[in-house]
Amino acid sequence: MLAYLIRRLAYGVLTVQGVLLLLFVLFFLYATPTEMARRAVGEKAPPEVLEQWIVNHGYDRPRVWNPANPSDTLLADHFRRMLSFDFGRSDADDSPIVERLRQGVVPSLSVTLPLFVGGLAIGIALSLFVAYFRETYIDRAGVVLCVLGMSVSILLYIIGGQFLLGKLLRWFPISGFDPQPALVSRFLAIPWIIGLLSGLGGEVRFYRTVFVEETSRDYVRTARAKGCGDGRIMWRHVLRNAMIPILTHVVVAIPFLFTGSLLLESFFGIPGLGSITVDAIHGNDFSTLRVMVYIGALLFVLAQIVTDVSYTLVDPRVRLE
Amino acid sequence: MRGVRQRWLGRLILTLAVAFGLLGLGGCGNNPYPGADDSVKVRYGALPEAPKTLDPAVSYTTLEHAITANVYDTLLEYHYLKRPYELIPGLARELPEPREIPGGRIAYRFHLRPGVRFAEDPCFELGEPGAKTREVLAGDFAFELERIADPAVTSPVIATFAKIEGFREFSARLAALRDAEPGFAERRIDAQYAAAGGIEGVRVQGPHELEIVLAEPYPQLLYWFAMPFTAPVPWEAVALYDGREGRDFFKDHPVGAGPFRILHYERRSRIALERNPGWYGALHPEWKAPGAVYPSQGEPGDAEAGRLDPATVGLALPFLDRLELRIEKEDIPAFNKFLQGYYDASGIIQESFDKVVHEGALSPAMAALGMELEKSVEPSISYLGFNMNDPQVGAPAGERGRLLRQAMSLVVDSEEFARVFANGRGVPAHSPVPPGIFGYEAEYRNPWRQPDLARAKALLEEAGYPDGIDRDTGRPLRLSFDLGDPSSRARLRALFFVNAWKRLGLDVEIAATDYNQFRDKVRRGAYQIFQWGWIADYPDPENFLFLLWGPMSESKSGGPNTANFADSRYDALFLEMKDRPNDARRLELIREMRGILERERPWIELDHHESYALYHAWMRNVKPAGLSLPSAKYVDVDARARARLRKEWNRPVVWPAWALAAVVVALVVPGIATFLRERQ
Repeated sequence: MLAYLIRRLAYGVLTVQGVLLLLFVLFFLYATPTEMARRAVGEKAPPEVLEQWIVNHGYDRPRVWNPANPSDTLLADHFRRMLSFDFGRSDADDSPIVERLRQGVVPSLSVTLPLFVGGLAIGIALSLFVAYFRETYIDRAGVVLCVLGMSVSILLYIIGGQFLLGKLLRWFPISGFDPQPALVSRFLAIPWIIGLLSGLGGEVRFYRTVFVEETSRDYVRTARAKGCGDGRIMWRHVLRNAMIPILTHVVVAIPFLFTGSLLLESFFGIPGLGSITVDAIHGNDFSTLRVMVYIGALLFVLAQIVTDVSYTLVDPRVRLE
Repeated sequence: MRGVRQRWLGRLILTLAVAFGLLGLGGCGNNPYPGADDSVKVRYGALPEAPKTLDPAVSYTTLEHAITANVYDTLLEYHYLKRPYELIPGLARELPEPREIPGGRIAYRFHLRPGVRFAEDPCFELGEPGAKTREVLAGDFAFELERIADPAVTSPVIATFAKIEGFREFSARLAALRDAEPGFAERRIDAQYAAAGGIEGVRVQGPHELEIVLAEPYPQLLYWFAMPFTAPVPWEAVALYDGREGRDFFKDHPVGAGPFRILHYERRSRIALERNPGWYGALHPEWKAPGAVYPSQGEPGDAEAGRLDPATVGLALPFLDRLELRIEKEDIPAFNKFLQGYYDASGIIQESFDKVVHEGALSPAMAALGMELEKSVEPSISYLGFNMNDPQVGAPAGERGRLLRQAMSLVVDSEEFARVFANGRGVPAHSPVPPGIFGYEAEYRNPWRQPDLARAKALLEEAGYPDGIDRDTGRPLRLSFDLGDPSSRARLRALFFVNAWKRLGLDVEIAATDYNQFRDKVRRGAYQIFQWGWIADYPDPENFLFLLWGPMSESKSGGPNTANFADSRYDALFLEMKDRPNDARRLELIREMRGILERERPWIELDHHESYALYHAWMRNVKPAGLSLPSAKYVDVDARARARLRKEWNRPVVWPAWALAAVVVALVVPGIATFLRERQ
């Protein structure tokens, strides 16, 4: 298992390096330092100010190759900073990026974490419910509703949710964010409801398939023949045996909790990490964008490894070699 | 089995009751603010994005000036109501007069009001232990000008202030000292500037006397002293707020001498300003300073609009206790919150325009809510430009090129464009100078901006392109319209012009790229036709006519003359016009320049943007301004009326929650019961 983990970690490191290299190439194909400066200082800034910005931010160095000093290039600096976790300051507004991450992580997790836990719990409960009532009109109605839910764009959910719950029924504020514990749920109610509804269709369809497959197995029939209750069969036996696909689905989603929800944060004015990423793309803010991509890649690779390890925990038959 | 069924039903009903109960508890209304604000004079506003910086030397956007202009007072200000815009004294006792000094130089002497103090801040302990504030002195203005010259600050207006004698030399000396001695940049900021010797043309003549010496005449300089760039900044704030050891950055921690000060600064969600009790207007109402009392004069229409109410005229400013700004990136939620009364003012989103505006006035539904619609033409211009270096459409094509540009100009209908894409908002432009700026003549009609297809076709034929076919080659003339926005909306707008030119037989292809690639094309000169715009920095025709001045061309100097227009006569007229006062000769010069542009057609002028703003009935003394003015101190609100109307407009509708619960129970419970019965 140790050898397997080391091998996976090595692959992970290579993957992250590849992501960093790709990001560098793609970004500088897209934007020049002059455009980065123009976006940061303003459209009306004269060329000399743009030049000064470029010098002040170190973008006057050669991008890839510097025969005089090979380590003094933008590419070398890019890797050096990311690998040493020295994230520096934003190109757009000179704020320390670590500070921005610190400020953004709480709003993002406030949206995504309850959504993730609630979505998982409700998704599994509903899936067990429809799987239990399989081949009945409840199951068929569930399938129709799930497919319907999956087919609608999240944008429609957002605009519809704001209109219905914020404007028409006036239950919650249409948008905004306040981190105070007494107020946070008031602002996040619509994003949570929308996030839950928009994701529930896919979740229920996936888990239902898993559970239906499990409920047709011999051990379920045996348990029932022995007089085991329906609830006990579903929650104790079926759920436990369906853990591997559930874990695969769940652990891979964890990195996205930290990277935030781009659309929900943008539409509801939530100052989280998702909107930091969107702003960085719009603002040619390379230093922030690379940190967001780097953290996303690291978390994703880690989540993959954790998923593999978790298989061995839920199923003793699995061996990592 | 009966027991099992009952358990199922019991659990389900309990779950649903808990779910809807939670929903009911959370749904305590849609008010995004604490109720305690109901009786306080707070102005609520939305910003479309987070400000990048509140450093007055750097900040150059209207959005940021909405904060900095209220926190940082300046030597001069604009009159709140008068149009055309008029300068009034702010922190200065009077407007300075230019004084010619030997060597063709011009000096302006500002006399500061004594006794003006900065807003209280812990930074002042750096200068004097225990101090919470100190007096604003002439040296604080000099310090701010030195900051603009500081290469490390990267101020976007460095070129403007380079007209001050010794400005560039100071900048170079400072950079050289920092390069020569690695530890120099670590010294306290005022010590660094002192070591660099200050700016020669910024003379501190006493604690309250400041003289600015210009190497060349530049009367527009005074306008810059009405902008936050030149506001007094205490060196203590810049020295202390360096972002180290948990301290703020100065760009996020403004310390000014304005009517408001920062109360709360969460850059990406909430920004709150509160009344500054140490503001000179509050401490010295007896001065009746022009920038500290509500004006008694305005332009025609102000009295009718209630902006010259005798009960308000002459009162000490500000009226508001607080400003609450929220970041709202999406305009639909922001507009809906305005309709609910949670924002005091708003623009009108495209999607709701017809609902809000009816035949150019407020719709009856909106008027019934007590709203008011304020229209204002911004000092701005939008235009289509030709790259005058291009061999087909530019100057190298000679007379053919000119006739082609004239023909293309004749078929673009600005009014139709505004009607289709801007709900009719916008004043058709006939020259670069917009309304409200000296040199604008409402009765002037540019003969090439009157749509005339037949005349355009004749011109095109004269140019040697009958029906768009090049007579020399027999091939269709193909042109490119370069867009810096690949969105379908931008393409649709571009199609409007392309289709107009198609009626002439011209084949114009839309080359849409993202903005970065477009800028790269402009830098390389690889573009033919483009669309662009400009908003005034200050209310002077020089700020518009310089956009076509030869030395400002993109290809020569990277300047804002993106059309690369160069005409020796126009350039000479510009030089004579730019330094003149607004007199008959200046108007004559502007008319001649306008005539050159009329004939040469480097631009097809589209419109001067007209903004429609909505205000709730509880707002008082509102007047839209196209320039960044410290308007918050003039505005007032009736907080009690607002609280009452908000309550009335936002009563939650609760019955659907219970109806939904009943429907769910009615649908699911019989199903379960039937299933369990069948299984039994």
